[in-house]
Amino acid sequence: MATSPPVAGALRVRGLSCRFGGVQAVSGIDLDVAGGERRAILGPNGAGKTTLFNLLSGEVYPTAGHVEVFGQDVTLTPARKRIKLGLTRTYQTSRLFPRLSVAENIYLAVVGAEGGQLRPLRLHRDDEFEARARQIASRVGLNDRLEVVVASLSHGEQRQLEVALALGGKPKIMMLDEPAAGLSPAERGSLTDLLVSLDPAVTLLVVEHDMDVALRVAQRVTVMHEGRVVADGTPAEIRGNQLVHDLYLGRAYQPPSPSGRGQGGGRSVTD
Amino acid sequence: MKRLRFLGPHREEAVGTLLGWLWLKRVALAGLLVVVLLVPQLFSTFFASSIGVQSLVLGIAAASIIFLNAVVGMVSLAQTALYGVAAYTTAKLAVDLGVDPWLAALVAVGVTVVVALLFGAVASRSGGIYFLMITLASSVITYYFFSQVTAFGSHEGINGVTPPALLGKPFVDPTGMYYGALICSVLIYVLVRYLRRTPFGYALQGVRDESIRMRALGFNVPLLRTAAFAVGAFIAAIGGVLLVWYNSSISPGTIDLTRTIDLLTIAVIGGLGRLEGAWLGALLFTLIQTYSPRYTDRFETLIGLVFLAVVLASPGGIVGISGSLDRWVQRRLAGRKA
Repeated sequence: MATSPPVAGALRVRGLSCRFGGVQAVSGIDLDVAGGERRAILGPNGAGKTTLFNLLSGEVYPTAGHVEVFGQDVTLTPARKRIKLGLTRTYQTSRLFPRLSVAENIYLAVVGAEGGQLRPLRLHRDDEFEARARQIASRVGLNDRLEVVVASLSHGEQRQLEVALALGGKPKIMMLDEPAAGLSPAERGSLTDLLVSLDPAVTLLVVEHDMDVALRVAQRVTVMHEGRVVADGTPAEIRGNQLVHDLYLGRAYQPPSPSGRGQGGGRSVTD
Repeated sequence: MKRLRFLGPHREEAVGTLLGWLWLKRVALAGLLVVVLLVPQLFSTFFASSIGVQSLVLGIAAASIIFLNAVVGMVSLAQTALYGVAAYTTAKLAVDLGVDPWLAALVAVGVTVVVALLFGAVASRSGGIYFLMITLASSVITYYFFSQVTAFGSHEGINGVTPPALLGKPFVDPTGMYYGALICSVLIYVLVRYLRRTPFGYALQGVRDESIRMRALGFNVPLLRTAAFAVGAFIAAIGGVLLVWYNSSISPGTIDLTRTIDLLTIAVIGGLGRLEGAWLGALLFTLIQTYSPRYTDRFETLIGLVFLAVVLASPGGIVGISGSLDRWVQRRLAGRKA
């Protein structure tokens, strides 16, 4: 697949760093993602992928660097305001509302994006919001589970609902943190189909350990290791990249800088 | 009917037994409602007043705790103090300033909600045990404020509050007061049930279940918590107004730490998960408080034992017992048919 040159930048990250006490989780990341681009972010456990997502979504503030979304600096914008720019995300371990039903979960995502959180009256708009929630549920294949309380969904269904919550926020940039984690091969297949079929205008960032999912969805791949970007290219380039092979298949690897923790490269990281 | 699938091969017979059980429950509930509706006619003046009115009023106050816990997941120790604010405001306006009791009540509810917004703005930035401690601090501050400020009668409090003529004199004829408190209880119950199905109510339940997700979905979590706290204060304030009308006085002893813990005890005995538990807990508490002195002067020990018994036997409180019975019946049926 040919990579189109970045037209309008959806996401522009410069020198982004984040330190938790003695751990440099992310250091000096530069990232440019074009509007409508499908980007996979790969890397072994502890590479800083989830921290990068937390920095982009505003759950954690960086210690250095800045983030721009559609040309607007959002480095210190609170998480709840970033959704107004169309930035939505999912979580590596599901963060759902276990005591509410599937329909109510997605409805909350729709209401959150539309504002009106303090509205103590049910209005006509809510029927419309619920209709949209049902529509999203059927896109992720949960249309016959609408009234089921989330706590009694299977793991796979909870992962589908994670994606549904990100879709509920009228996304322009969707960040999916290991959407296929723990899914069966069949579920992975339908998830991949869903991701491929998304509106081409939506920018997609996917953290995924499953190479088949990641490389089928992505037009471009960024590889992280120990808080840094170590490779960036098309799926074909990344497949042929010796460094990436070493990282994923467990050849000894020397971190590119002495500040790295110096371990983790020797283990095979396949999960 | 989906829930009946577990019954297996002898489904029809089992369904019959189950329907019988459900019917029994419905009859029991209807009977209870009739009794509740006819308390002033069926019981003595003393009972209707000391047990009837008092349970309803304490129940409303406890309902504010249960609302906050069940819908938003916040356990508050400030509710006694907040109903004290409403009671004191009503008394001050009516007795010292001669304001009409209805107007005094209205202003009192408004003042309580404003105070709660201030307390809530501080407390709502925290959660769990920290929220509990901050609300406890607000409660203690309120207690000392009313017990020190002479404009509110300091240790004596304010006496001689008369309820509106419509509600009558609670100790002579509690009928008006009883139905007043009953109507308020029903309205609060309906209000909370409605609120749960509004965007605001769903947002509160979202905050209860997963506040980090709520933030990412675009919700202002501290604002929602503060607003919920104000709704809780609104409920408690209605209880406070009724309390001061019923007792015709208010003093710091009514809002001290012991009373704060009493109210939490009522909520836990009744069941923190469901609103109706508030009134059931209040009824049990009031019965023990009123009748135990005939047999023992160790009320605290007794209520402590009852608390332990209820919590151990049914973690969901008195309202939880119904659910436990449901599950027991289902297990029995499933076991017999297997």
